Amino acid sequence: MASTVASLSIPATTFAAADVLPRRKAASRIWFPVARRGGFAVRSTGPATPPDISDKLSESIKEAEATCADEKGTAECAAAWDNVEEISAAASHARDNLKENSDPLEKYCKDNPETDECRIYDN
Amino acid sequence: MAAFTVHTSAATSLYSPAGTAILLRSRSRAYPTTTTIRVSCSKTVVIGVAADSGCGKSTFMRRLTSVLGGGAESPRGGNPNSNTLVSDTATVICLDDYHSLDRAGRKAKGVTALDPRAHDFDLMYEQVRAIKEGRAVEKPVYNHVTGRLDPPELITPPEILVIKGLHPMYDERVRDLLDLSIYLDISNEVKFKWKVQRDMAERGHSLENIRASIEARKPDFDAYIEPQKQYADAVIEVLPTQLIPGPGDDEGKVLRVKLIMKEGVEHFAPVYLFDEGSTVNWIPCGRKLSCSYPGIRFAYGFGTYFGHEVSVVEMDGQFDKLDELIYVETHLSNLSTKFYGEVAQQMLKHADFPGSSNGTGLFQTIVGLKIRDLYEQIVARR
Repeated sequence: MASTVASLSIPATTFAAADVLPRRKAASRIWFPVARRGGFAVRSTGPATPPDISDKLSESIKEAEATCADEKGTAECAAAWDNVEEISAAASHARDNLKENSDPLEKYCKDNPETDECRIYDN
Repeated sequence: MAAFTVHTSAATSLYSPAGTAILLRSRSRAYPTTTTIRVSCSKTVVIGVAADSGCGKSTFMRRLTSVLGGGAESPRGGNPNSNTLVSDTATVICLDDYHSLDRAGRKAKGVTALDPRAHDFDLMYEQVRAIKEGRAVEKPVYNHVTGRLDPPELITPPEILVIKGLHPMYDERVRDLLDLSIYLDISNEVKFKWKVQRDMAERGHSLENIRASIEARKPDFDAYIEPQKQYADAVIEVLPTQLIPGPGDDEGKVLRVKLIMKEGVEHFAPVYLFDEGSTVNWIPCGRKLSCSYPGIRFAYGFGTYFGHEVSVVEMDGQFDKLDELIYVETHLSNLSTKFYGEVAQQMLKHADFPGSSNGTGLFQTIVGLKIRDLYEQIVARR
């Protein structure tokens, strides 16, 4: 394939931007496990949270930690952590939605497991 | 209430769906809150569920809509971030939509979402009463992604309305509208384990953060949410298991779950084991039924809960196979099933749901059947 042949000659440094999300790119180009610039976050192999919610979540956590670093028992501290909880719940629901909506057949079978298309045979 | 002004059809508004007859405005609302469009003459059955799991298709709602029939989906063509679920017979409304303060507002005032100051109970009462009486409403939408209030969506009265959130039983007027109320009481240790399971994959989260989050919310939770337990007709209490010694079960999978049912509630007959009104301790595993570790233990008894007479059915342990489920179902009574084995069938149908192998799934399914039974009794009485 032309793209993979071309990537053999590209120096490793240009991979740096793409390496931020290695799992996504790995399928489309050859990936050399040589010197990689910058670390990347270790992600779980479960369904990923949509990036906007994920960013909001990490922001809110930092904010809560900052607010509560000064005084622990205040209302602002409680409100900040409550915010984190709300966004975590939203992230969890977004993950569930992604998992659900990825395959229309799975989605249909989840709600209607008794139909013919959804029968599972064990043997 | 002095806040209402009733206009005739000559009134103008921001949102004027065709066929509006009367528009009710409540004070300091930027958008109209109730439109009266006659849809049905029969009254809607209203169920209240108090749970701290946010808005979205929670396992309990999925099981409930499955028992009632039909899959629950978001309203078609509406806001993709809508919190409402609509199925053939039931509509589930999330009470977060009645926030009077959005995320920025709460941050500015230093108020958590658990605090009643962040909610508009007047609007909640007006709209739930309107739906119960058969009128459609334009309900506000709280967008959990942006943290702001979106334009309202139309809710038409369903046969069964479920209001789910943190404060379904907080306001006395709303409480009187409920035909049945349920409270999901998760103990702190189990709550911590579940949150760890849910959040650990996220960047930036750590065990300390999760613990800090629970601790910070605890005062408001204890002050505003916990007191609703006394008003609930059924409480599902989830506790750590007593069958595994020490801190053995780290994922919160083996649980001790109690179903506390108030006596004397109309159309709601408490579930019992063997002999109603007695005290029973039952371990079904033995000669007839073989169970794997840690086994199953049931208990049934009666007592008082916040001053009310209650019956309590308790299950500790884990289901491992279908035989155990059916065996247990055979010995429970007053389940409101339509045929023998319905509970087992519902549990198997959703075997991939969390809690399908322990008391949470079992009691959620049973409560779902009780709700269906209550609905059918109310309809039959009309």
